[in-house]
Amino acid sequence: MRARVVGWVLLPLASIGLLLLAWELVVVVFHVQPYIAPRPLAAIQAVIDKWGVLWPLVLGILRETVFGFAGGAVLGFLFAVAMSKVRVVRRLLYPQLILSQAVPVIALAFPLTAMLGFDSVRPIIAIVIWIVFFPVTVNVLDGLAHVDQDLLNLAKVYGASRWRTFFQIEVPATISPLFTGLKIGATYAITGSFIGESVSASSSGSIALTISQANGNNEEGLVYGLTLLLAAIGVAFFLAVVGVEALSTPWLRRTTSRPWRRRRLATSGADQ
Amino acid sequence: MTHEFRSLLRGSPRDAQGYIEGVPSTVLLELSAVAKTFGDQVVLSPTDLLITEGSFVSIVGPSGCGKSTLFNIIAGLLAPDAGDVTLAGRSVVGATGHVGYMLQKDLLVPWRNVEDNITMAARLTRGVTAADRDEARRVAQRYGLGEFLDHYPKALSGGMRQRVAFMRTLVTHQSLLLLDEPFGALDAQTRLDMQRWLLDVWRESGRTVLFITHDVDESIFLSDRILVMSPRPGRIVADIANSLARPRDVDVLTDPHFVEIKGHVLRLLYGADR
Repeated sequence: MRARVVGWVLLPLASIGLLLLAWELVVVVFHVQPYIAPRPLAAIQAVIDKWGVLWPLVLGILRETVFGFAGGAVLGFLFAVAMSKVRVVRRLLYPQLILSQAVPVIALAFPLTAMLGFDSVRPIIAIVIWIVFFPVTVNVLDGLAHVDQDLLNLAKVYGASRWRTFFQIEVPATISPLFTGLKIGATYAITGSFIGESVSASSSGSIALTISQANGNNEEGLVYGLTLLLAAIGVAFFLAVVGVEALSTPWLRRTTSRPWRRRRLATSGADQ
Repeated sequence: MTHEFRSLLRGSPRDAQGYIEGVPSTVLLELSAVAKTFGDQVVLSPTDLLITEGSFVSIVGPSGCGKSTLFNIIAGLLAPDAGDVTLAGRSVVGATGHVGYMLQKDLLVPWRNVEDNITMAARLTRGVTAADRDEARRVAQRYGLGEFLDHYPKALSGGMRQRVAFMRTLVTHQSLLLLDEPFGALDAQTRLDMQRWLLDVWRESGRTVLFITHDVDESIFLSDRILVMSPRPGRIVADIANSLARPRDVDVLTDPHFVEIKGHVLRLLYGADR
């Protein structure tokens, strides 16, 4: 247990601490001017000073990211299922999928915003969906293609229906690739929100617009501080997905399910 | 489709075909002129086969002799080019859901514990009932895995996993079990344990077993009949009765009759009189 705390908590934290320390050292040793780059603590302080104005905007970008991520995950999964089940859909959709990712998202953000509204979260969520669905689709599609054919044959020999085979075998067998796609999507989602916010003209403001304004006002502390905050949100998102993955795949780490029941059975076994 | 036979053999409760003396035997599985070709390769030339209810029949033969094709046709995974397969008098060509089936790979799903793996067939066909779960627990306890019901498959040894896979096959309640090299991946000692275990379960369950193996000793130790197959074209070249008395244990392995059958089968597989 102690080895796990060291390996999974302390070392990663130490690694981030070292990064901040290196930043601090570079600023001090090379006499970097504050209008180029502030010291890390000054950047964090700048965000804390303005937290009263900032927190609704932080909630806003969190909401866009969560909705966009959820939408992208669902859409990406459905695409993968449709493409794996129907060959025509796969042939028709695959070039479009690649095209969708070859296009620079920021170029798409302008027409999307014009279509879905300048003062609206809809284009922002649409951009996050656009970014998140692709790694999910590609990974789930790959997972579905690699479900053990012998296992599918066994289900067929039992006389299983296609639906039951899908939900009892294909979906659970695809859970690891699904989470691989979700983890990639989780780290990109915040970037999508940021691009969307940069292009839209929200009347209530946004994190991206605040960073842009702060940059214009030479408030480099705030620019760096908010960038750090976005990075922290991205990391938290990734960790949340890792946590959900761990909860939904107990068989990868545990020896038994339901340990409380195992104890009861063990005693009843001893009675015999 | 009921054939009556008399035991021709000395004192054994089942004769060579697995018929119990004095009891009318029933043909469970009948193949008539079943054939299969892939491209220009005849993987199974027209084959006739009668399997009586309750018997244990092994199939040995080199790779490519059509034994797995034969299994897949019986199980309904492959449609034969010609011929008919009847199970208990009913044609099952192209149908599925009428046999128990087990491979060398245990095919346990890693995301379900032992109990839920045993009830997999019910989950895939109609939904698991309390009775299914009760039966799974009872079978697991009876055959020595009662304390592992909540274990995930990866926590079990290879032999235990194969036992779970066999229990999963058993609770399908199919009268015919197709076992395709189920112990092929196990070490020699575990394999012998599993063979003895399988004989116990078979005797208690009264099922009919068709058993593919590469291991001649295994085929003789387990079965009432040994079908020897040969490739190009895939066909049954010999149907050998095995009258070794049951119940059998390891001493059978050195019985003169065992050695005699083994010599016969080995000559068929590797020798000149093929």
